[in-house]
Amino acid sequence: MSLPINRTDVELAADDLRRRTLSHMPAPLERMIYLGSTRDYNTGLYYHDGLASRFSDEVACEALALCHRESYRQVLDSSVEDLVRQLDRYIKSTQAAVCDFIAAWKSLQPYRVAVPAATDPLAAEFLCANVRVALAIWEAHQDGRSPQRLGASPQLSPVR
Amino acid sequence: MIQLIISLVVGLALAVSLYFFARRVKPSAEGSAQQLREARQTLDSLQFGLLPNDLVQRIFAREDLEYVLSAAPPDVQSIFLKDRKNIALAWVRRVRSAVLDLMRFHRGHARLHAQLSFSTESRLALNFARLLTACRLLQIALYLRGPYAAPGMVRTAAAAAGRVCLISENSLAFLNVKGIDPAENDPARHRA
Repeated sequence: MSLPINRTDVELAADDLRRRTLSHMPAPLERMIYLGSTRDYNTGLYYHDGLASRFSDEVACEALALCHRESYRQVLDSSVEDLVRQLDRYIKSTQAAVCDFIAAWKSLQPYRVAVPAATDPLAAEFLCANVRVALAIWEAHQDGRSPQRLGASPQLSPVR
Repeated sequence: MIQLIISLVVGLALAVSLYFFARRVKPSAEGSAQQLREARQTLDSLQFGLLPNDLVQRIFAREDLEYVLSAAPPDVQSIFLKDRKNIALAWVRRVRSAVLDLMRFHRGHARLHAQLSFSTESRLALNFARLLTACRLLQIALYLRGPYAAPGMVRTAAAAAGRVCLISENSLAFLNVKGIDPAENDPARHRA
């Protein structure tokens, strides 16, 4: 039987996670994708070896869930323009080939499974629609298809 | 002959209304508790799922439209507008449906609770009617003219829904008595 979780421990673990791991991911979108990937899709539980060894499995799970919800809310609050910038930063951080990245994101839509559990379906759908449009705009910028307007451009750096 | 037909029609009408009256199920204690729980969930889903200011502002944010019009090619612009329209319509539909659920619940329970104040209930009824009308008009506007057609109406509907939630919350204060799982009232469970 597991012991009841101490909220202070969860906060401490979440702070630790923010300081050591998430601080290296400046974009909320990147943090959301990363935290979503620490979740076991069969059980819905989050795992992080380092955090679990410093605290406990349960506390690490709660802390990861807390940070996941936090980053999800930040992505949800982002404007489309900001999302294009976050996507640009994220694509650079993955160092994947641009065409592979776009193909994978268009077909697999990984951002759909990166949404935390028990979120409002309308909000989740809104987030996915925004990411889809941001991806299309980013792709258009790379192809040189987007109308260039000084001040309106997200000032993307060339990735290819 | 005519008198006979009239008598038959009146008789039939009375029999039908008697049938529907007899069919009305009296709420049992368990059913009542279940309805209370459902009303609480509806209220929470409105307050924490659909009406938070930041979500409403983001869905109808004009800055997104301006950015997309200036930075995206026409095909992406139309995808964006279509997505936003669908989401805006889904938002109004869900607000309207939650308000209807709350209204049904109130109608069913108001007569069972002597503590309910007449002025509160009349205010609530007025707000319900105003909100349902605003939602319907907003739906029509969004459907015909797109997601950015009526920002003022969105604000009005959201504010009216907020008022309904508040009055409903006060009126249903008895929901917080024992028997209702307090965890279900935890706003954190309903936030993103």
